Amino acid sequence: MIRDIGYLKIMKTGPGTSVQDQGRVGFTNFGVPVSGGLDTRSLTWANHLLKNEVTDAVLEICQPGLTIQFDSPTLICLAGARTAIKLNGKLISSFGLLEINSNDELKIGLFYEGSVLYLGIKNGFQSEMIMNSRSWYAGITATDFAKKRDLIPYFTNQEIPTFTSSKVKWKLDWSSIQIIDAYAGPEFKLLDKKSQEEIESMQFTISDLKNRMAIQVVELLQNGIPEMATAPVFPGTVQLTSGGKLIMLTKDCQVTGGYPRILQLTDQALSVLAQKNAKDKIRFHLKELT
Amino acid sequence: MGLKPTLTQISPLIYEFEWNLNISDTLLQLQLSLKTKLLENFPNKILELRIGFKTLALVFTKPMESAKLIDWLGSLNPEEAAEPLPNKIWQIPVCYAPETGRDLKTLASEKNLKQEEVILLHSQELYRLHFYGFLPGFMYLNGLHTSLHTPRKSVPDRSVPAGSIAIGASQTGIYPSSSPGGWHLIGQTPLSLFDPRQAKPVFASAGEQIEFVPISLREFENAKRHPSQPQFK
Repeated sequence: MIRDIGYLKIMKTGPGTSVQDQGRVGFTNFGVPVSGGLDTRSLTWANHLLKNEVTDAVLEICQPGLTIQFDSPTLICLAGARTAIKLNGKLISSFGLLEINSNDELKIGLFYEGSVLYLGIKNGFQSEMIMNSRSWYAGITATDFAKKRDLIPYFTNQEIPTFTSSKVKWKLDWSSIQIIDAYAGPEFKLLDKKSQEEIESMQFTISDLKNRMAIQVVELLQNGIPEMATAPVFPGTVQLTSGGKLIMLTKDCQVTGGYPRILQLTDQALSVLAQKNAKDKIRFHLKELT
Repeated sequence: MGLKPTLTQISPLIYEFEWNLNISDTLLQLQLSLKTKLLENFPNKILELRIGFKTLALVFTKPMESAKLIDWLGSLNPEEAAEPLPNKIWQIPVCYAPETGRDLKTLASEKNLKQEEVILLHSQELYRLHFYGFLPGFMYLNGLHTSLHTPRKSVPDRSVPAGSIAIGASQTGIYPSSSPGGWHLIGQTPLSLFDPRQAKPVFASAGEQIEFVPISLREFENAKRHPSQPQFK
């Protein structure tokens, strides 16, 4: 196979556009966050339709207002949030495989449903691989978020790939559910009975404090647990601050923390959560470990 | 006695051992010994092992029956002596001065100490590296003299320069990269503490010790121009 390098050029971007893959495994003991796509399910789906490796890198888009240009032919796949997408000025379906020709321009407009969009590309983006991952993170990779005029490399075959598979339907229904599945965290047992019950009975609202490190909810929960010795935390760990704030850690979270860890979300729940927007409502459902 | 940890399963893949002991070299020895034993007994099954001050978290690559782990933990002999901690001491040059540590003056005056006394109290101790966390390459160190314990700032600084030596509550640490932070800055090291392009991006390992060696502002500036590797003894 011919493997020339082509470039995706960022013409315009809002905050929060980055290259992500399945994340950095095996470096947390040096304090290095796991990183990787916030919604693993959609990211994996994009790579799957492209017949890519599961570890291939994609572009994660968290805000409307992205315009990109491709300098060489390739095949891309969009998955995740439902958004307004224009190819060379023409509105197109926001999901599935898409043939790209030299100098094609893609515009991502409004987000209608969901919160994170993935743009996968044939054979994955070829930005620098550091510590077994291409996921961008400040201090690890040279860039943390894309800015105007950035060039992101990919492999091109110098001809438009044709794909024969019929259009596969992507539905975002799975992410619209309110229920967030979780296991009891190590400090859950230290909560008083009332707070333990409220975790499951209360409805929580996603706040606008939402980024690649953590998502906070608006409602507070009574917390009588004393401060604890710094301990490991993971993406999906839900911390309870002394002020009663619930902090749901996401992929770029620190590897250790000092707040009580009251829940651990399932991987599937993390993908659902990633597609939530501010003001969306969620409920926690405690799962038993069998 | 708390020598044996309690085991909690956090998710199908994550487990955590916790010791009901105070933070100490003895506890760290127990944590590091258990870490070694786990790696020996479950080869190729462990994705990562991470320690906190009183905990050891374990992530398996595939779900494992908790009974297996509980049985294995029960089979360990609590009388068996833990491996001694390494005796390597890393020497970190630090320029303690208001120019490199903007809170040195205030911290000294709040404690009714001279700046020289703060410097002496901070640089005469040996600090034990327990684990890395917070930022890539940030060392959690134990051993700060009690008279230097200082509550964290109520409003964190927006930007702490890389290499800053700081005090926060009962801990001291070095910021490996520039970051927001709520600790009091008393000096700065010219050394680079984290290199993501190295297979091992940090120089010191858990259990080793750190010694802060005072240097002048001139030596600091010189060392910044001619970067060197950390030395140990």
